[in-house]
Amino acid sequence: MRQQYAWRSQVLAGALAFFALAIILQMTRIQNSPEAEVFRQQAENYAYEWRTFYPNRGEIYDRNGRLLAGEKMVYELGVDLNVMTDAHAIAYAVSDTIGMNYEQMLEVLQAPPEGISYVVLADFVDASQAQYLQELKKALNEQAPEGALGGLTGLQFKVHPQRSYPENSLASNIIGFVNREGKGYFGVEEKYDTLLAGNPVRVLVPTDPNKAFEIPHAPDGTSLVLSINRDLQAAAENILDASLIEYGARDGVIVVMNPQSGELLAVAATRRMDLNQFWNYNNIYDNATDFNPAISKTYEPGSVSKILTMAAALDSGTVTPNTTYLDTGSILIGGVTIQNWDRNPWGVQNMVGCLQHSLNVCMVTLSTQMGAGTFYSYLDTFGLGHLTGVDLAGEAAGRLKVPGDPDWYPVDLGTNSFGQGVSVTPIQMLAATSAVANNGRMVIPHVLYAMLRDGRQYKVPDQFGASPITEQTADTLSEMLAISLESESSLALVPGYRVAGKTGTAQVPVNGIYDGTQTNASFIGWGPVDDPQFMIYVWLETPTTSPWGSETAAPVFSEMAQRTVILMDIPPDNIRQQLVKK
Amino acid sequence: MNIPTHLPNVNHLIHAYRVAPWRVQRQWIGNALLLVVVFAMIAALYLTITSRTAIAGRDIQDLSEAINYSRQVSSDMETRLAELTSVSSMEERALNMGFRPVQPGEMEYLAVPGYVKQDAVDLSASTPAQLSALTIPPEYNQSLLDWMDERLISARRYQ
Repeated sequence: MRQQYAWRSQVLAGALAFFALAIILQMTRIQNSPEAEVFRQQAENYAYEWRTFYPNRGEIYDRNGRLLAGEKMVYELGVDLNVMTDAHAIAYAVSDTIGMNYEQMLEVLQAPPEGISYVVLADFVDASQAQYLQELKKALNEQAPEGALGGLTGLQFKVHPQRSYPENSLASNIIGFVNREGKGYFGVEEKYDTLLAGNPVRVLVPTDPNKAFEIPHAPDGTSLVLSINRDLQAAAENILDASLIEYGARDGVIVVMNPQSGELLAVAATRRMDLNQFWNYNNIYDNATDFNPAISKTYEPGSVSKILTMAAALDSGTVTPNTTYLDTGSILIGGVTIQNWDRNPWGVQNMVGCLQHSLNVCMVTLSTQMGAGTFYSYLDTFGLGHLTGVDLAGEAAGRLKVPGDPDWYPVDLGTNSFGQGVSVTPIQMLAATSAVANNGRMVIPHVLYAMLRDGRQYKVPDQFGASPITEQTADTLSEMLAISLESESSLALVPGYRVAGKTGTAQVPVNGIYDGTQTNASFIGWGPVDDPQFMIYVWLETPTTSPWGSETAAPVFSEMAQRTVILMDIPPDNIRQQLVKK
Repeated sequence: MNIPTHLPNVNHLIHAYRVAPWRVQRQWIGNALLLVVVFAMIAALYLTITSRTAIAGRDIQDLSEAINYSRQVSSDMETRLAELTSVSSMEERALNMGFRPVQPGEMEYLAVPGYVKQDAVDLSASTPAQLSALTIPPEYNQSLLDWMDERLISARRYQ
C-alpha cells in the first residue's frame, strides 16, 4: 500500500515538474522568438517621449506694481477620434460657442487625414467659452441613457497660458506684444524677449505610469518692473488725443522723463493698438517706425535744438548771457540768406532775447562764431546722429551731417544751428537736453526700473552718458530759458512751478523742398528749475489750427506738466522750498 | 539521550523511526516549503514596496502638475484682477461714483514728519522662493536591483 502511494507521489511530482519545465521552456521560447523582438522594439518606441516644458513668461509691471502684461489661461479644443460618438453634436456645439464654421468643422471630424486620431478644432479659446463647453459635455453625459455616452464624448480641453494685456492699448508702444508662437515684437517684449521668455527644458519622459520621473524645473522668465507710471501714461495719452483734435494735428508724441535718472515715466504716441488683438497690426500701422515714433521716427526738430546751439556757444566761451548782437533780420551763409521766422529784424538782442524770440539769425551767428569744428563736436557729444541706448526695440539714430560728408554744404552750419537739415528722434532730443537740466551730464533714457527673479527684486542702476557741457553752463542756460518763457508769458508756463523750456516750429521737407504749409510743432521743457523732476517733450505733427509750436505744443506741455506734478506729488515751488527750509 | 542497553528493541524502534523514508521525505519537503515561503515573503515585500514607491512617485508627479496648474490659475486671476482695476475701469467707476479729476489749485500739501516718499514698488516676495528644484529621492524610483548595484558600487569605492 505504502509503495503504491510512493509510486503515485512520484508520478504526480514528475508530472508537476514536467509541467513547470514546460512553462519555463515556453517562456524562454516566447522571450527569444522573432515576434518577441518586434514587440520589444515596439515597446521601446513607446517607452519614452520627448517633452518640452515651457516656463511661464515673465510679467511686466509699472513702477507702482500695476500689471501691464501677464498670463491668462486659454484652451485648446481637440477631439479624440477613437472615442468620438457624435461628430455633428461636437461640430455644432463648438462652432456655435466660439463662432466657427460648422460645415468645415464637421468635415474635419468626419474625414480626418489618414492615421490621425486626434484633431485640434480650435486653440486659444477663452476660458469662459471652454468652461461652457465643459459644462455642456457634462450635462449631456448625465442626460445620456444608462450605458450610453453623451454627444460631446471625445471633446477634450487642454489648458495653456497666453499673454494678456489688462490695460489693452495703454502704453502699447512701450510694451510691444507677443505672438502666439511666444516671440516678442516691439518695445519691451522684443528688447527683453530672452529675459522674459526664460529657457524651455526638453526632456525624455517615460510613458510607463509606474516609472516616476522628475518633472524638470523650468524657471519662470524674469518679470520686469518698468519706470513707467501707469496713471501718468494714461494722462499723457488722454492729453495727446485731445490735443490732436484741438489743434488738428495728424499724429503726436508726448514723453515724460526724469531728467536726473533717465527713467521714462510716460511715452505716449498716437496710433495705439489693443495688444490683445495684435493681429490688427497691419491695419493700424503703415510701417514699423509708426509703432513707437518717440524712438523710431526721425524728423527735423526745428527751434528746440537752439538749446543745444546756445549750450555749445556758452560752454565754449563764445558768448555769455549778456553778449549782444545786432539782429538785422537776415544773414548770408554758404551763399544762402537765412531769415528769422517772422522775416523781421529784432535789433540789438542779448542771448536771453535770442532764445526768447527764437531768432534764427542769432543762431547762425553763434554757429559761425564757434566754427564748424567746435559746433559739430558739441552736437556729436550731445548724441545727435547716435543711438541713445534706450532699452526699447526699434530705435533710430537720426542723421547729423558733418563737414567732410558728401552731402554737407557750408549752409548746413547755419541751418543746423536752428534745427534744420538734421534729423533726430524725440528720445534723442530728450537725452541731449537732459544735460542742461541735469548739471551738464546726459542721462541714458530707459524704461527698465527693476527685475524680479526667484522672488527677489533687483534694481537696475541708472546709466549716464557724456557730459557735453559744464554744470555752470547748464545752470546758466536753464535760468536763461526760464526767464525767456516768463518774459514772453509763454503758454507753456505752469502756475506755481518755475519751468524752463523752448518751443520748436520746423517746416517739413517734402521731396527735398520745405513745404510752407506743413510744420512740426514741438516743445521741450523741464521743472522745477531748481530741482528738475520731470522733463516733457511734446511733438505735434502738422497742426492745422496754427503752425507755431508756441501756440500748439506749448499749451500741451503746460497741461501735461500740471497733471505730472499732481500724479508725481510734486508740491508747488513755494511749498517745497518751505518744506526744505524746515 | 542515553538508551539503556538492556532495551535493544526500543533502540531499534527509535533508529527505525529516525531513518524512516517518509520522515526524511517530510524533512526535505519542509525545508523546500520553508525556502518557498521565504522567497514568497521577499517577493511580496518587494512587490509591496515597489508598488508603494511607484504610487508615491506618481503622487509627486501629480502634485508637481497641480502646483504648475495652481500657478497658472494664480497668474490668470492676477491678470483678471488687473483687468478689473485697469485705468479705464477705475476711471469709469470713479466717474460713476461722482468723483472727478483733481485740479492743480485744489491740491493741499501737508508736511508729515518722518514720511519718506516711496520711489517705486518693491515686489520682492516676503518669503524668498525655493531656489533649488524639488527632487524625487532615489528611494522612489530605484528598483531593488538598482539599489543593490548602487550599494556594491559605493562599497567598492570606499574599499
